[in-house]
Amino acid sequence: MGRSLKALTLGVSATALIAGAAAAEIDFGNFDGYTLRVKLIGGAQYEPLYAEIGAWEEMTGATVQILSRQNHFELDREIKQDIAAGTLNWCVGSNHTSFAPQYGNIYTDLNDLIPQEVLDAFVPLVLEHSTVGGRLVQLPRHSDVSNLFYIRSLYEDEARAAAFEAEYGYPLAPPETWEQVRDQAMFFADPPNFFGTQFVGRDEAITGRFYEMLVAEGGQLFTDDWEPAFNSEAGVRALSWFVDLYEAGAVPAGVPNYLWDDTGLGFASGSVALNLDWAGWAAFFNSEEDSAIGGNVGVTRAPMGAAGVRTGWSGSHTFSVTETCDNKEAAASFVTFLTDHDRQMVEARRGLLPTRTAVWESAMGEFRDAGDDFMVEVFETFQTSMAEDAFTPPLIAEWIEVSNELWPRLQAAMVGDMTPQQALDEAAREALVIMEDAGYR
Amino acid sequence: MLRALRVRQTALAPLILLTPAFTVMLFVVALPLAFSLYTSMTPYRLIRPETLDIFIGTRNYVRLWDNAAFWAAFWRTILFLAIALNAELLLGLGIALLINKLTWGQRTLRTIMMFPMMFSPILVGFQFKFIFNDNIGIVNNALQSLGLTDRAIPWLVDAQLAMFSIIVAEVWMSTSIFAILLLAGLLAMPRDPVEAAKVDGCNSWQVFRHITLPFLMPFIFIAMTIRSLDVARAYDIVHVMTGGGPAGRTELLWTLIARVGYDNARMGEANAMAYVSTLLSIAFTVFFFRKLMAARRYMGGAE
Repeated sequence: MGRSLKALTLGVSATALIAGAAAAEIDFGNFDGYTLRVKLIGGAQYEPLYAEIGAWEEMTGATVQILSRQNHFELDREIKQDIAAGTLNWCVGSNHTSFAPQYGNIYTDLNDLIPQEVLDAFVPLVLEHSTVGGRLVQLPRHSDVSNLFYIRSLYEDEARAAAFEAEYGYPLAPPETWEQVRDQAMFFADPPNFFGTQFVGRDEAITGRFYEMLVAEGGQLFTDDWEPAFNSEAGVRALSWFVDLYEAGAVPAGVPNYLWDDTGLGFASGSVALNLDWAGWAAFFNSEEDSAIGGNVGVTRAPMGAAGVRTGWSGSHTFSVTETCDNKEAAASFVTFLTDHDRQMVEARRGLLPTRTAVWESAMGEFRDAGDDFMVEVFETFQTSMAEDAFTPPLIAEWIEVSNELWPRLQAAMVGDMTPQQALDEAAREALVIMEDAGYR
Repeated sequence: MLRALRVRQTALAPLILLTPAFTVMLFVVALPLAFSLYTSMTPYRLIRPETLDIFIGTRNYVRLWDNAAFWAAFWRTILFLAIALNAELLLGLGIALLINKLTWGQRTLRTIMMFPMMFSPILVGFQFKFIFNDNIGIVNNALQSLGLTDRAIPWLVDAQLAMFSIIVAEVWMSTSIFAILLLAGLLAMPRDPVEAAKVDGCNSWQVFRHITLPFLMPFIFIAMTIRSLDVARAYDIVHVMTGGGPAGRTELLWTLIARVGYDNARMGEANAMAYVSTLLSIAFTVFFFRKLMAARRYMGGAE
């Protein structure tokens, strides 16, 4: 038990790890009689992985005690309460790249616990996003980034294509820029029966969407010395994209209240032409049983803003090991197991984006063998996106708090209570107070 | 000597018997209240436990005084309470009166009536969020199919409709509490005064106005008192349906306090807000309790 996982896995060749074929041969150690206490994110898309925990228990002789299994927002509250009450008497917790900076130093640096050969098998950019203040505080389980899904048949109708070209002066094709998305959304819209596009409109979801559009437009959230800078010209342009589409009725009237389920189910209902969304929905969208547009869905890389940058707000669901853990080797073994090749395949088969380079290839191979060309295209698109376009919000503890000042003002601009400039100026004033209170300025 | 001891024992007996109750009250109510009062005078952040030791006096309360979003949520909460509780009372009273008329199937209906109470508020929130969804929701689809409107009504976005939709969900979930309590009152009501009034030629409205309603008033105020205390359960409904938005249009004290306390981790500031909202709860409770006492005095013939 005293031997570190680093030593245990030295015998495993790096080639075998990268290929992923030898995952089952890794020695996860022997922790006979030890009970590992964990707090995990719950929910339909996260649960299938937990069915694998029994295999780790069998290999190591340890027992896993799941203390908590709830959605991430509830888990976040519980972890904050644990910090406040000094009850961090558990070892492994689900985490997320956007939330991790809030938790200070409660999680240990995994660079010291997990062998470099294991870390080398992960997509480098994703590991970079998992690092806070130079410390690898989390091991990524699967990633999120969004790309553009569209109803294919809309682009195959010649009369419609001719009408579009006559009105906008360029051929109708899946959009490459957000300006084109605006044009096409307005062209396709026929409210209340059909909408050009849609977006999530509340909580951190709309903050993230605005943030990626801000970056694509060439703006930034903060200056280098942490002064809020999103109320710039680029910021107003980014917010106006949402406001213009809302005012034109090209998006459903309820979008300021939409979250991921609403946009996912809305697109699957066949009443929305273009939908920027996570890969986790892809199979559902294209399923003839579940979706009104099954077999009629296309996917293209997220479009570019005026700065020539593609939107790529990204985050990863991860696992962290607490500093207070009484057996960090066992905890490291557990998180390595849950993110190994075979475990990531369990999630990749369901459309969740892997964080290991080799799993991308294995998953695409399986889809190809099964003749599922759509999922191959989805994975190819999202792989490029994760490698080239993905970026996280600023990895600072105040991100969620700043987001809570921002999103109600973004909504206010959408529903016409404020102009985009007023909304962003007011949010910037409040964000400045947060940054000053936190000692950044 | 023995007699003096016995007298002292007799005098102490009530205190000794009350000790368990006082102990429970001390640890479950008084100490947490005192602790949260103290934290409301600190810049306490959940993720920085050391901030609990910094005393800043009334700074959080002074900040609240200038916090327009807080006062908007405060008055909106009062409006929400006033509309939701009165709507639940009227509907509950109507249902109770109708069920009281039944001679067959009353028990079955009483059971069915309690179904909404069995749902957790989170589920009620999700249910009504999809019912009122502008694009795929059943309400808009029904209105459009019936030809009553040709547009997608933004139920959860419009300034008035969003609050209306939340109140509908809250009323659906809680009306049965009023109905059950008022039905209990109706079943306990003596028949003699009603029959005497009918013999004297009173019509149904006069019987209801001068006999049934005064008799039910204590039950109404008990129901009001209970509901004004547990109406904060509506937090889940608001959280799921609108999250307090859009643009703060449905922000109530409970959603604001939860966001400040947990999401922003500013528990000191959130506790200051919670203390002000506790005063609001006490005001409602005192008001209804005084009304209850007045109604009981009236029924007892003192007035």
